[in-house]
Amino acid sequence: MSNDFAQFQDAFFEEAAEHLAVVEEGLLQLEQHPNDWDLLNKIFRSAHSIKGTAGMFGFSAVAQFTHKMETLLDLLRNGQKAGSPAVTDLLLKSTDCLKTLIESAKTGSGIDEETVQRLTADLAGASTSAAQPAAARGLGGSAGAAQPGCEDRTYAITWTPPDWLFQRGLDPLQIMKELNDLGSLAKVTLNTSRLPDLSDLDPERCYLSWEIQLATGKDHKVIESVFEFVREDSVLKIEEGEALSVKREALESGNEIRFTNDERRAESGEPKPLGEILVETGVVSRETVDHALAQQKRVGQILVEQKAVTPEQLEQALQKQRQQETAVQARKSDATSIRVDTDKIDKLINLVGELVITQSMLSDLGSRFEIQQLPVLLERMAQLERNTREIQERVMGIRMLPIGTAFNRFPRLVRDLSAKAGKKIQLVLSGEETELDKTVIESINDPLTHLVRNSADHGLELPEERLDNNKPEVGTIRLNACHEGGSICITVEDDGRGLNREKIIAKAVKQGLIAEHEKLSDDQIWALIFKPGFSTAEKVTDISGRGVGMDVVKRNIESLGGTISIKTATGQGTTFTLKLPLTLAIIEGMTVRVGKETYIVPLLSILESIQPKLGSVKTVAGRGELINVRGSYLPVIRLYEVFALQPEHTEPTKGILLILETEGERVAIMVDEILGQQQVVIKSMEQNFRKVEGIAGATILGNGTVGLILDVRGLLEIAQREEAVAV
Amino acid sequence: MAKTALVVDDSTTMRQMVSFTLTNAGFTVVEAEHGKDAVSKVAGGAKMDIVVTDLNMPEMDGIALIKELRKMANFKFTPILMLTTESAMEKKQAGKEAGATGWIVKPFNPELLLKTIAKVLPA
Amino acid sequence: MPVSARETSVGECNQPAGLTTDGNQYLTFNLGEEFYGVDILRVREIKGYSTVTKIPHTPPHIKGVLNLRGTIVPIVELRTKFGMPTVEYTAFTVIILVVVRDKVIGLVVDSVSDVLNIDKKDIQPPPQFGSKVNVSFMSGIGKSGEKLVTLLNMEHLLVDGDMAENSVAMGEA
Repeated sequence: MSNDFAQFQDAFFEEAAEHLAVVEEGLLQLEQHPNDWDLLNKIFRSAHSIKGTAGMFGFSAVAQFTHKMETLLDLLRNGQKAGSPAVTDLLLKSTDCLKTLIESAKTGSGIDEETVQRLTADLAGASTSAAQPAAARGLGGSAGAAQPGCEDRTYAITWTPPDWLFQRGLDPLQIMKELNDLGSLAKVTLNTSRLPDLSDLDPERCYLSWEIQLATGKDHKVIESVFEFVREDSVLKIEEGEALSVKREALESGNEIRFTNDERRAESGEPKPLGEILVETGVVSRETVDHALAQQKRVGQILVEQKAVTPEQLEQALQKQRQQETAVQARKSDATSIRVDTDKIDKLINLVGELVITQSMLSDLGSRFEIQQLPVLLERMAQLERNTREIQERVMGIRMLPIGTAFNRFPRLVRDLSAKAGKKIQLVLSGEETELDKTVIESINDPLTHLVRNSADHGLELPEERLDNNKPEVGTIRLNACHEGGSICITVEDDGRGLNREKIIAKAVKQGLIAEHEKLSDDQIWALIFKPGFSTAEKVTDISGRGVGMDVVKRNIESLGGTISIKTATGQGTTFTLKLPLTLAIIEGMTVRVGKETYIVPLLSILESIQPKLGSVKTVAGRGELINVRGSYLPVIRLYEVFALQPEHTEPTKGILLILETEGERVAIMVDEILGQQQVVIKSMEQNFRKVEGIAGATILGNGTVGLILDVRGLLEIAQREEAVAV
Repeated sequence: MAKTALVVDDSTTMRQMVSFTLTNAGFTVVEAEHGKDAVSKVAGGAKMDIVVTDLNMPEMDGIALIKELRKMANFKFTPILMLTTESAMEKKQAGKEAGATGWIVKPFNPELLLKTIAKVLPA
Repeated sequence: MPVSARETSVGECNQPAGLTTDGNQYLTFNLGEEFYGVDILRVREIKGYSTVTKIPHTPPHIKGVLNLRGTIVPIVELRTKFGMPTVEYTAFTVIILVVVRDKVIGLVVDSVSDVLNIDKKDIQPPPQFGSKVNVSFMSGIGKSGEKLVTLLNMEHLLVDGDMAENSVAMGEA
């Protein structure tokens, strides 16, 4: 199958991965909402899309397997089959299997044939009411690929099309043309007997019918295929008559093939083969060329015959060639691509446009520069700098993806883990929209997976144990991501039993990691679990506890320039905090002004901004200031007080209160003015300085100076501490 | 003047493949992600020489799109081809009733696509 | 607590670890009438003074941060650090960017003077002024001709309080 579509394979694999994620996520949600038809439709569409596109590339294993899934999904979405945990389970397993099939199509990796067979059978079994024919047909449509007709035939065709022919955009003339292309139209008779009176005539309807005599070498099926789109709705009779004595070129079918080849070459600008040209120009006959071609040998064969190489050497060389081909293939699949919002690209294009304008203004200025134009020059230069910086930022932004893409796999993982370990676990995700660099997302997948596994396996207790300890039966694992400082902070938190100090010490002593009575702080003890070979699992399960683990996690995180830390409390749970410094991180921020200083507030944390009415900010005896926002009292933080600045306004009614939310807590922050909204690239304060309380990081503002990004959580903590001091 | 084609498919890969083939064949291609998108792109009265649309799509599916297009003066007689799959042949009937000119069964190759388009494209 | 790995990464000026004042080239600068010197190997560049952004909750000698080609660099005003009266900045006021433990830090000084060769034998240990003057940030007093140059121990200059969050006046619970 000649396939010009091959170049789209990478795009397909990328899209298929997205569809798989939709299917998987959808199936998991389906467990909670079995009657969500929209959801079922979405899942179905994704499966359908994989199937259709896979077929285009000849990935028939993928297409056939997806077809089975699709059949079952179709029954579900039509309500012909009721959903059940067993069905969802089967579909989830099938999704996994489909993943391996797609992977196999991509990299040629092996597949577990048995699993494919079993799941195929299961899917078919579950779709009992389905009477769908299996096996995707080969390349569709090319019905009756013209058999070289040895004898010419005539066909008598009578055709009465449906009267709505035109309304479907069909043109009888086209059909005549196509028939004519098959051979020669000996006779065409138009039958107008059905034409009504002009007054009754609807010009959009077709009242005509035809009688056609066609002489052609093609067989019945080919003729029929001309009427493909109207056959079922027409009165159509195709009868084969007697063979015509007209001798047509015997090479008819061959000619046709050559013709399409020519067309293809013309399109691609490919030169014609030498033989072809020789035949065309009449230098040699086609037979001579064919004969010569049949004589042609491969280079290797000729060399062997000439005893220039031995067959062994040839075999080795061929093997090498194959290896190189495979290597090229592999390199091709290694090349990664990234899908970018057209929005982002449009903005970039606009920016480049601005850059070009600035540049032309500058060169114009430069060509006839006089010293009194210096201010203009400086202004243009500043503009150039702004343009350049903005482009730089936007280009970086292209690599940013929401971390949700990494989080999405965990509902499934946790579901499987809880089933395996006999635990009840709920997974809570938050901060999925936090953007970080694509490569970082990819690199933290494994460490995160390990931490979640660790929490499920070691952290959380069995339901009985939890109940005995007055804890809810269902354990919770929380995954959260947020920007903090110049870093991305990801936490994996469980409400399990917490780390066991004694056990860790005992194990470490046994492993010779520490001396028996060494005095260690808690943090030093927790850090021991990151030592190579350290594992405290009492029994080795197949989930984790294989001794390779936490040290690898730590190493991975550190190789990204990040840190990992542990917070744990006996009986209450453990929190692993990953911090990944990310100079590439970009957030959407609101710039605000206090006195002469400019700060950036992460847009995500802003609920609203208000200008308080006189007297709406109340001082509660020794408890700081509060404002009533729609019935709830929020603490008011005057930024100038916390940061010891000279503000423009000290009266809340003159300034602006930003209502911010962090981790479910709300707070009102008073500033002088809101300047505007912009995307800012987070720069690390820690790289050359250190963490500053109340400041999450810094960025470069439009004028080249540094702007500080507020850390809402930190501000809240400062406020609470000051309150406590006041009491 | 170059012929124009409206290509509607929610699958980017699919859309790209069809557009690529048509562009190479000299068409000027307008792409749309789903029915709604397509309608919005031609609502201004743009005329197309051919429409190639997928059937299963979010927002507005292919059948609804075909119905919608047939209501518009600029698409009343425009050939509309639907991309369908073997298993969804019942959709073919619905498509025809909605006013589709013809169909292409997935999987197809560029030659078949162009051949089918030639079949319905007014000379 | 973060369990961080400190990599001995190499800064641009290829600073050998542990090197303090064993080298004998010093960049000297003025604070009022006094001369100070900093190991030339630590100096990354010298730039004119430009506006810095104030950082809350930092001691007064931390002037703020500025943008050095995309990275954020803290700026220390040495006069304030040494308890000297502040002066108006002039055209001579410069920022010396030094590398201390892989971090780039800017020092605001009145003016840059010279690069001097000072032999080890011409360097005396810092004098004991009693408890009145903190000498931990000095590595010695160098003599070059008639000039007395206070050689700075950068590691100590900035370790005692500036670069660690907990040292800030408020102190965390």
